[in-house]
Amino acid sequence: MISLMVALPLLFAFFLSLISTFKLDKKFAKPLFIAGSLIPWLFLLISLKSSPFYEIVGGWSREGGIEIGLNDYNLYFLLAELIVFSAAALYSLKYFTNNTGKVYALLLLMHAGLIGSFISKDFFNYYIYMEIASVSAFALVGISEEKHAKTAAFKYLIFSLLASYLFIFAIGIIYLKTGYLNAELIKENLIITKEIDIALVIAFISLILKAGIFPLYFWLPDAHAKAPNPISALLSGIVVKSPIYGMLLIHETFSVNANLMMLLRIIAFASVFFGIVLMILQRNVKRLLAYSTVSQMGYILLSLSINSTLGVIYYSFAHSLFKSGLFLSAGALIDSQKSKNLKKLTYRGEPLLMVSILGLSLAIGGISPFVGSYAKNIILKGLTDYWVYLFYIANVGTLTSFIKMNYYLAKPKEVKAKSRSLYKALSFIMMLLTLTFGIYFGAEIKLISDVLSIGIALILFVILKRFNVFEIELKPKFERSMKGIAEEINFYAGMFGIVFLIFLLLSFF
Amino acid sequence: MTLIVRTTTKLVSPFMVTYAAYLMLYGHLSPGGGFQAGVILAVSVILLITSHGYKRVKRKFRLKEVSLIESASAITVIMLAIAGIIFGSFFYNFLRGGEFGSLISGGIIPIFNIAIGLKVGAGFALLFYILLRWVESD
Repeated sequence: MISLMVALPLLFAFFLSLISTFKLDKKFAKPLFIAGSLIPWLFLLISLKSSPFYEIVGGWSREGGIEIGLNDYNLYFLLAELIVFSAAALYSLKYFTNNTGKVYALLLLMHAGLIGSFISKDFFNYYIYMEIASVSAFALVGISEEKHAKTAAFKYLIFSLLASYLFIFAIGIIYLKTGYLNAELIKENLIITKEIDIALVIAFISLILKAGIFPLYFWLPDAHAKAPNPISALLSGIVVKSPIYGMLLIHETFSVNANLMMLLRIIAFASVFFGIVLMILQRNVKRLLAYSTVSQMGYILLSLSINSTLGVIYYSFAHSLFKSGLFLSAGALIDSQKSKNLKKLTYRGEPLLMVSILGLSLAIGGISPFVGSYAKNIILKGLTDYWVYLFYIANVGTLTSFIKMNYYLAKPKEVKAKSRSLYKALSFIMMLLTLTFGIYFGAEIKLISDVLSIGIALILFVILKRFNVFEIELKPKFERSMKGIAEEINFYAGMFGIVFLIFLLLSFF
Repeated sequence: MTLIVRTTTKLVSPFMVTYAAYLMLYGHLSPGGGFQAGVILAVSVILLITSHGYKRVKRKFRLKEVSLIESASAITVIMLAIAGIIFGSFFYNFLRGGEFGSLISGGIIPIFNIAIGLKVGAGFALLFYILLRWVESD
């Protein structure tokens, strides 16, 4: 029954493409789309009731078939996927107006791809489903009507495919050396050799590129900021988690060597701080949130690099909830006020959105009853000596940048139109979910440290404002022409090559 | 294109379709299978497009029909896979039978091959149609 979680959204996706051939979008597109996006909930509940929590497709033996299953590792990824996708699906019912059949078909393909990648226990199957999700993501970024959205989609496509080719190469090496693709069988029959070590480095670097973590983040801000609003929520919320699941799968299967782990830790912290600095300098609200994703993905990688599997799982879950909530609520504001500039947007006069954005900002800053604080605590427990202080500084930085966002949004401005009530309700539900899950997990209430970190963040904000840091204007490095795009892609591909070589060399010293 | 090219492609295309059909039907017995068959099927149409032009080919192979074949065959594949659940598990081969090495020994595999062949062929042809809308010439 686990397989039906993937099969039914796929089936509905093809039905949608069938009805859009006959131009019946208006009549059938919405019910089919909603059915396709909510049905996996039903099958998740059914498969959690009956005992073997794994299944081998086609009834073959484990050696010959593809294993899929539910366990402690992927359950929260799956839950996050279903929550975020359901919210984004309801949001996009009102958002997309023309060509709905095709757009919904792409969305359902992405749904199926994400669920498929999260339930697979097999490297090749994982790769295939991750690809299905990202290929539909390129198309969904490309349909945005914003200026330069197609360029962003093209850049996303090039770098994502580059990562995919390297990842499949790494899987090839692993298959060559062990003879299996199934994670459990590899673990049982594993003999660590030099080749497998190299394959792991390649796999990690390609997944880092796909997840948009610091030195290899360059495609992420454009793609996530220029996509349509519900798509941004999906991309930042859950599509970047599928490479994280791959890292987790690799981490649980192989014993990764200590040098690589140290390198990952350094990269993770670099990503956290880099994201924060650029968040402080952004004026476009969606770009700010996109850079926040770069920073938050750093936390997840950090948790992986200190062997804290629980941290990866809970932080991914928490980040999915609050980031997609933030994108949805910012999207509601953008939709009614027709601007993305922080200086023109405001949530005055929209109390529901104000509460949701404030709550979600507190959640992302790790303030206590919210889910973010529980996840951050788990990571904090795994850190030792001076890394702990770095972690606190990072937390204050995140809070500062979100104080900046809320400061601009709280200023009263002239507003012409109210946001749609559906958008407001969805944002509020996401905020409530972050709170509920925080309480459900049993996040400790740490009044003193919370007040202290907000206080320091406020002081830092005032200092930065005094020195006019928020007025600094960032100029795009490359011009917006065909030649500019080509130069940009060449430059970043070169940068990727250099990072790749550094990784390979440093991992073996 | 010149008369020579047009005549040759007209001559070659039916044979390619036959070859694609062979690959689909015998995919479980000999090298080949759905994907390869689909690509060859698409090439037979694409050859006609390059020699005769998009507009003339579009009259015979309509975009709507191609799109219909594409989605319908994908639905067939998934329906067959789901039907396996009734007999045991997802993608279960429930039509086993026939003598080893004979055409009907594949169970549901030839059906899959046919559906995938049509899906891939229609998909590739559709891709060309949509790209050629922008660079209409001839």
